[in-house]
Amino acid sequence: MAEKKQRRERPAFNAEIAASIGKHYKDLQTNKPMAYALMAPDPLIEIAYAAGIQPAFPENYACICAARHASGGYCESAEAYDYSPDICSYCRNHFGYIYAPGEKPPMGGIGEPDLFLLPTVACTHYFKWWDALHEIFGKPLIFLNTPRAMEKEMPSYYLDYAMKEVEQAIADIEKVTGTKITNEKLSEAVRLSDEVTDYWQKILELNKTVPAPMNLSDLSNILFILIVLVGTQEGVDLIKKCYEETKQRVAEGKGILSKEEEKHRILWIDIPLWYRLGMLGYLENHGCVIPISDYTQYIWGTTRMDASKPVEGLARKALGGELNTSVDDQIDKMLKDIEEFHVDGVIALSNRSCRILSVGIPDATRIIREKFGIPTLVLDGDHTDERIFSEAEVMNRIDSFLEMLG
Amino acid sequence: MSSALEQMTSSGSNAPEVIQGIKTETGKRVMGYFHPIVPEELIYAAGFHPARLYRWYFEEPITVGDSYIQTFLCSYVRSLWDQVLKGKYPYLSGAIIPRACEAVTFLYQTWKRHKPTPFVDYINVPWKRTENAVGFFAQELGRVGKDLGKFAEKEVTEDSLRNAIKVYNKNRELLKKICDLRKAEIPPVSGTEIFDVVMSGFIFDKEKHNELLEQLLTEISQRAQPSKPLARILVSGGCVIDRRVWEMIESTGVSIVVDDVNNGSRSFWYSVEDGAKEPLEALARAYIMVPSAFKTSIEDRFNYVSELISEYKVDGVIFAINRNCESEKFVYPELNKKVKGKTKVPTLNIETDYLVDMAPLRTRVEAFVETLKA
Repeated sequence: MAEKKQRRERPAFNAEIAASIGKHYKDLQTNKPMAYALMAPDPLIEIAYAAGIQPAFPENYACICAARHASGGYCESAEAYDYSPDICSYCRNHFGYIYAPGEKPPMGGIGEPDLFLLPTVACTHYFKWWDALHEIFGKPLIFLNTPRAMEKEMPSYYLDYAMKEVEQAIADIEKVTGTKITNEKLSEAVRLSDEVTDYWQKILELNKTVPAPMNLSDLSNILFILIVLVGTQEGVDLIKKCYEETKQRVAEGKGILSKEEEKHRILWIDIPLWYRLGMLGYLENHGCVIPISDYTQYIWGTTRMDASKPVEGLARKALGGELNTSVDDQIDKMLKDIEEFHVDGVIALSNRSCRILSVGIPDATRIIREKFGIPTLVLDGDHTDERIFSEAEVMNRIDSFLEMLG
Repeated sequence: MSSALEQMTSSGSNAPEVIQGIKTETGKRVMGYFHPIVPEELIYAAGFHPARLYRWYFEEPITVGDSYIQTFLCSYVRSLWDQVLKGKYPYLSGAIIPRACEAVTFLYQTWKRHKPTPFVDYINVPWKRTENAVGFFAQELGRVGKDLGKFAEKEVTEDSLRNAIKVYNKNRELLKKICDLRKAEIPPVSGTEIFDVVMSGFIFDKEKHNELLEQLLTEISQRAQPSKPLARILVSGGCVIDRRVWEMIESTGVSIVVDDVNNGSRSFWYSVEDGAKEPLEALARAYIMVPSAFKTSIEDRFNYVSELISEYKVDGVIFAINRNCESEKFVYPELNKKVKGKTKVPTLNIETDYLVDMAPLRTRVEAFVETLKA
C-alpha cells in the first residue's frame, strides 16, 4: 500500500453525503428526544421519524471512529470494563466511547440517548447490546421481536407476528414520547422510505455497467441514506442526486476506472475494513474495482413497501434483508449477481466481529469456486478493531490474489 | 446391577453406544435436538427417541469441522459438527436446531446443505415473554410437530403431547427434588454428580431416566454424610458440558450447590401445565421462560440467578463462559455488576474452551475459594 496514490475522479455525491453525515452528528447534540437505533433493515426508523424522534446509530459511529483510527483505543477501554475482545467490535467501540470518550471524540461524539429502539432482524447480540445499555442508562427500551426467515418461503403467521410487533412498538413509542403517531405521518414516512429504496435499487442496477460508475466506498457512503435517513424528504433528495449523477456517469461511460483500465471486477463479501479503505485505491491501481458486495447489495433497500399499508410494509421490511434470511438464499443471490455484474474474483472477510455475515463464507467461497472457477481470497480480520490487522500479511495475500487474477 | 448413579455417570462417557442400544432395543428412530429451548415433548410425542446434540467424544480434536465453521465461532458447535461429519453418530435420523446464537442458527443451514441426516428442522424462538410471543411460539411448535409427524408418518396428536408432557413433568419434578437436597448445609450429592445426572437425561429414554432418578433418591438417602464444603458455589454460563470444569471446581473443596447453565437447571426448571386444553400453547408458555442468554434480558436473568443464590445459600458465583460464547460474554459485565452489587456475593469469571488446560483455571478457582474462606 506504499505505492504512489493515483488521483481519480470520485462521484461528486460523496461530498454531499459527507455534509449530511456532519449535519446528522450535529443534530444528535440538539434534537430531542434522541434514540439509539441499529443499522439493520430496521422498521423502527420510519416509526421514529413519524414520531419526531431523532435516531442515532452507534454502529455508524463505530465506522467513523474506525476510519479515524480511534476504534482501537475505544475497544481497549471497553475491554477494561469486562467487554471481552471476543465480542463485536462495533459494540466494544461504543462501550469504550461511553466509559472513556476522551476529550475530542470523533464528530463531537454521539450523545446520550433518551430511549432505545431495538429490532431483532439481524445479529443476536443486538438484543444483548441494547439490553446492557438499557441497564447502564436506565432509559426506556422499545423492543420489536420478529422471527428469522430460515427458508425462502415463510409461514404466514410470521408476518402476523411481525405486524403485531410493529403495532405494539408504535403504541410503546407513543406512550414513552407522549406523541400520537397518526396513520398519515406513518404512511408518509413509509412512502419516503420506499422512494429511497426505489432509487437505491436503480443505482445498484447501474453498477452492473462496465466500467463500474461506483466502487465499494461510494456504495458504502450511500448506505448512510438507506440506514439513517429512511423516512425523510432529506433522504429522498439526497439519494435522487446520487442516482442522477450515477446515471449520468453511465451515459458518459465514466467509471471509477476507465474501460481500458478496468481489468477485474471483484465481489466483496462481508463488511469493508473501515480503517483501511485505502486498500480499495491499491486494488484500483491494479485494475480492480468492487462494484458489488453482499453488505451493500442484500441488506438495506431490499423490500418495497406499500404506503397505504404501512404496518404490513414495515413488518415485511423486518422480515426481509440478508441479515434476516438464510445463507442459502444469500449464496443463490451471489451466484446470480456474479454473472450479472461480470465478477471474476471474490474477496471475503472472515470477520471475527461479524458472525452473522461471516458464518457462510467457507461454503459460499467453495460453491462459487466450483461453479465459476474464479479465484477467491478469504482474509481473516475485524471490521473495526484495527489492533488485530496485520498489514504485511493481508497485503501479501492480496498481491498473491492479484497474480492469480492475472 | 450397578447403582443408578453409576449407570447415569457411565452413560455420559459412553453416550453413542447407549443411544445406539436404545435404538436397537426400542426400534425408535433417534432425533437429535439442540438447546434447552427445543421442547423435547414434541419429538417424544412423534415417536422418536430425543437425544440432545452434544459432542459425546470429549477428547476428539477438531480436524474436519473448521473447514465449514470458522474458529471464532463456538467450539461446542464446531466440535459437534466435526464429529457429525466424521460419521460418529450414525444412529441419528434427524436434528432440530433452534434460532439461537449465530453459531447455532447457522448450524441448521449448514446441516441442511450437507445433509448428514435425512431430516432437519428449525424452530424460531421468540425473545419476548408476551402473549403475542406465546401465540407465535405455539404456532411455530405446531408447524414443527407437523413436520415431525410427516417424517415419522405418525401424527402428533394432542393426546400424545399430553402424555409426553406428563412424562417430562415427572422428570423435572424428580430432578428438582434431587437438586433441592443440595439446599442442606452439607449437600449429600455433589455438583459433579448432578452434572452426570442431568446429562444422562439427554441420553436415556425419559421414562427409564425417571426410574433411575427414583432409585437415586433412595441411594442418596442411604449415603454416609460427606464433610462440610468450604463454600457453596453457583456456576453460571452457557453450555458447560466439559465434566472436567465441574470436577476441577469441586476438587478445591467447595460444593456446586446449584447452576445457571443450559445443560443444567435451565433444562428443567419450568414445568409445563399438565392436562392443558391446548398442549402446544402450554409448551410455548413454559419453554419461553428458559433463561438462556441469547433470549433473556439481564433483568430476567438476574432474577433467576438471585433467586437461586438466596434459595441455595450461595457463597460465591463462578461464571464459566466458553471463549466464543458471544451471548454469555455480552451479559456477563452487567449481570456480574448486579450480582455483586445487589446480592453482595463474590464472583469469579473463568474462560473455558474445548480441550482447554484445567491447571491455570484451577489456580484461579483456588485463589477465589481462599477469598471466600477469609
